[in-house]
Amino acid sequence: MLADDIRLQVSSDPRLLGVIRGVIQVWLEVLGLLIDRRQEVVLAVDEACSNAMRHAYEGRTDESIELVLSASNEWIEITVSDQGTPCPTECSEYRPLLPPAPHEVEPGGLGVKLIHEVFDEVRFCPGTTRGNCVTMRLHWTAKNEVDSED
Amino acid sequence: MIVVEGDIDLYSSPELRSAVLKAVPKAITGVGVHLGGVTYMDSSGVATLVEGLRSAKEHDKTFTLLAPSTAVMKVLELARLDSVFEVRSA
Repeated sequence: MLADDIRLQVSSDPRLLGVIRGVIQVWLEVLGLLIDRRQEVVLAVDEACSNAMRHAYEGRTDESIELVLSASNEWIEITVSDQGTPCPTECSEYRPLLPPAPHEVEPGGLGVKLIHEVFDEVRFCPGTTRGNCVTMRLHWTAKNEVDSED
Repeated sequence: MIVVEGDIDLYSSPELRSAVLKAVPKAITGVGVHLGGVTYMDSSGVATLVEGLRSAKEHDKTFTLLAPSTAVMKVLELARLDSVFEVRSA
């Protein structure tokens, strides 16, 4: 495991999402997470950052998003924080992903569902007047690790 | 046919959305979106494809995903939406 957490502070500019994904990708590679799981975690973190940009900051690109990446022998944890408008509690609640009937397919609301789908533990903490924080934790299991592929 | 390459995310999906929603009403029988060169797709990309599918149904047209990359199929499967779309390998 790595001795220290990694802290990133990035502007709420969607052009920077590729940079965030790149950092997360390399960090997970260093930790030894299996490539399929890496792609899922990168997607879920991207969704959390996109939510901050779209909803908390309502498209403003000069605000700040902070990511903290930490890992232990038991888990990988990523926290995404913003100082924007708090997300209504019902928006972050767990709703299982089920195959919809064709007439029920909706284009929105998928990001939070994907975050819950990918991580073992997800905690949304909207501030009372300002800010949001989502903490996403993935437990190490034999099927997650590169060494277990063989 | 609409050919998409690179990453589809919050930054790039509005351009794809615009292209798809313009193409659907003009299509004779339907729209094909070639996704073989897509290296990454997030939920905004999925939402764009769902919007395209709904628009196509409203216009009585087909909406087909052509040669979707593994990155595209992975997110569609994760979202349980892989069976919603008509997919062709080429």
